[in-house]
Order: sequence, then C-alpha cells, then structure tokens
Amino acid sequence: MANLLQQIVKKSPWIYRINAGSCNGCDVEMATTALIPRYDVERLGCRYCGSPKHADIVLISGPVTAVVKEKVIRVFDEIPNPKVVVAVGICPISGGVFRDSYAIESPLDAYIPVDVNVPGCPPRPQAIIDGIAKALEIWKTRV
Amino acid sequence: MDAVKMVFNMFLFPGGLFAVLFGLLLMGADRKIYARLQRRVGPPLYQPLIDLVKLQQKETLIPRTAQYTVFRIAPLLGFVGMLVAVVLIPIPGVYAGINHTADLLVLLYLLATPALALMIGASASGSPYSAVGLSREMTLTMAYEVPLLMVFLTVAMKVGMAYGKLGDFSLGDIISFQQQNGPLLLDITMLPAVLAFMCCIPATIGVVPFDIPEAETEIAEGPLLEYSGTGLSMFKLTGGLKMVVISALAVALFFPTALGGFWLINLLWFIIKCLLVITVTITVVRATRARMRMDQAFKFYLLFPTALALISMILTMFSVKL
Repeated sequence: MANLLQQIVKKSPWIYRINAGSCNGCDVEMATTALIPRYDVERLGCRYCGSPKHADIVLISGPVTAVVKEKVIRVFDEIPNPKVVVAVGICPISGGVFRDSYAIESPLDAYIPVDVNVPGCPPRPQAIIDGIAKALEIWKTRV
Repeated sequence: MDAVKMVFNMFLFPGGLFAVLFGLLLMGADRKIYARLQRRVGPPLYQPLIDLVKLQQKETLIPRTAQYTVFRIAPLLGFVGMLVAVVLIPIPGVYAGINHTADLLVLLYLLATPALALMIGASASGSPYSAVGLSREMTLTMAYEVPLLMVFLTVAMKVGMAYGKLGDFSLGDIISFQQQNGPLLLDITMLPAVLAFMCCIPATIGVVPFDIPEAETEIAEGPLLEYSGTGLSMFKLTGGLKMVVISALAVALFFPTALGGFWLINLLWFIIKCLLVITVTITVVRATRARMRMDQAFKFYLLFPTALALISMILTMFSVKL
C-alpha cells in the first residue's frame, strides 16, 4: 500500500523557485526548464506554482546574501512537508564568483537541508531536469 | 422508492461520484489538449487524480493570522454548492433532473457559490495577496454575472413564449421545447446569446484570459495563496465540478439532443458534447490568449457579451424570424 502511494505521489511534483540573491542567470535557466514547452517537464506531472504553500520541490538559486537570508529561511518554513530542496548553480554550494564578498553568507546548506546540488554557472537545462528527477526519487521515500 | 432514488442521484449519478470523476476527466483532457496544442507530450489524462492523492499526503498549514473556522469551512462551501448544482441539470435522454418551476434561477445562484467560497476563504486567510485576489474576484464576478443573467433570461423568454408564458425557468421545459422544435444553437436569433454564454465560461472557471484573481505570476495565486493540503485539493476539485456544471448547462440550454433510446449511448454523446464545449471555450482560448488586466476584463464583459445577449433578447422579445 505504501509502495503504491509512493508510485502515485511521485508523478505529481509541484515546483517552486526561491531566488536567494542570485544574479538571474540560473533563474532564467530554471524558467526555461520548468516552463517552456520545449523540454516539457509537465509530462512528469510537474507544475510551476506561485505559492510556497503548494510546493513539493523547491529550487533555490543564488549565494544567500546577508539581506535575503532570513527571508529565504522563512519562505522555506512555509512549505508544507514532505518537501525536497534542489540547490541550483554553484552559488548555493560555495558562493561561486561572489565567494569572497562581505555580503555573502553561503553555503546554503548551513541553514537549509539541501538534498540535491546542481552545480554550474549557470547549469544546463538538462542538468536541472536531471536534478529534478533525482529529487523525485528522494521525495518518494519521504511520503 | 423516491428517497432511495434521490440518494442515488445525489451521491452516485449524476451528482457525487460520477460528477467528481467526470470533473477530473475534463480537467485532465483540458491539460492534455493544451499540451498537444503546444506540440508537447503533456501529462497523462489521469493527472488531476494523482494531484488530488498527492495533496492529501501533504501537511495542512494554517496561518496564525487566519480565522480558523471560516478558513477551514470555506473550501467545502463551494464544493457542496457545485455538487447540488450537478443534480439540478438534466442529462438529455439519461436523467430528467429535479424539474421544478425555476431551477434555472436556482442554478444562477449556485453558480456563484465557488466564487463566494473563494472570497470567504481569501478574506479569512489574512494575507495581503489574498485580499488583492478577493477584490479582483468580486469585480470579475460582478462583471460576468450581468451577461450570464441576460442569456438565461433570453432562453427563458424564448421557451416561455412557446408555452404562452412570459418566461419559463424550468430546465425540463427548456429541454422538451428544444427536443420538439430543434436545438436553440441552430436558431439564428439565439446565436448572439450562445456567443455571449461562451464568453462567460472562461471567467466562471477562472482560466487564463480571465484568471486575474488567481494570477500566479503577479499575486502568487491570490485567494489560494494560504491554502495547502486538503483545503487546496478541495478547491481544485471544485474547479473540476465547475467545468462539469457549466458545460452540462451549455448542453442543456443550447444543444440537448439525444441520439437514441439507449441510455449508455446518450450518456457518451453527452460526454462528447461536454468535452467539445470545454475544448472550444477553455483549452483553445487558454492556449492562444494572454492574461488581461482587471479593467480590460471588466470593460470586455460589460461591452461585448452584454451587447450580444441584448441583441438576442430584443430579437426574441419581438419574435423576429430570420
């Protein structure tokens, strides 16, 4: 029974994006992966949603700037369990090109439990889709 | 026996179970055809059912600023209103409906319940985005109710004149009139009213050119913002039922022909007609149009559908034969 439920739930991940002070490069890549018809993630049941309270998979991009840190943690808390976090781009891992800046508080996983890292500056759309597919496998086990 | 039949009609067919499954099918078909119009594979036909099961597994969060009781009850209001509305609408050749003297007027009120439930839920959730969505929903409802009421009046007048009355608001009479004199869809004087009704459908369902209250890219889904888990699934289910009610109503008002004597064929014919209504008025419009602004939508509804309905009404009033 639990196994069947996992198989069903796996087919309906709703995606939400959080911009943690990103330069918009990764955001553009995410929007093109999650939204445009060319790659069609809707065939996996994915839907992009506007409210954090509807989300299952959270895509976070950006190096977590000092100003935005508290807000990111708060929005993350508003997402109902079970949820999976995908960190998109090199910034949430190490800070990327902004690494030595005084305004940066990365890495992201010091504050939020990150499940999948998709490195790149910015990562290719295929890599992001692969990250979502890996996140699905993790999400399945949490239901 | 009557009570048993009533319970059967309320909970199994055509209300309750059948309506919910049919609503999910219409939602799935809408998403699939939408994807095919954009030349992609799209989600499977049963995707809305999966979404529903998934939402049951999610945590239900209630904001601290929300009015708890109203916030939890609001999704149920619209759902129940739509379940009752399904029972009122006859399926030609299969189900005769309740057949009271004014069920069309009752339907007009019931059609407003999902919008009302959305407004109540939004006002109870205590979020500024929901408040913006609430005011937009209210404005949009006021705008599309005018042409909708005028279309209903026109149909009632047309049928009432044939029976020697000023107006006939009984859906049973409307259907039997059309089965004797041919469907109103093929009547040229009624064509503007049909067009006006088709214009009203996207706003009642709340899809893209008129999804201004729930615009997810500008006000983060508006009234639905604070809903999660079961409450959200209830609202999604209400959306599906709304599709059933509005398409069944379109079939009953303008094209209630039955194919043969056997009920299964008639039911399949009814389902095909409903799918056609949804595809033409929702999916194609959604795939080809962008979201309007609130003032544009308001002007649109008080201008074009109202004018079209008025033309039909005047033609019917003076019994013009074209």
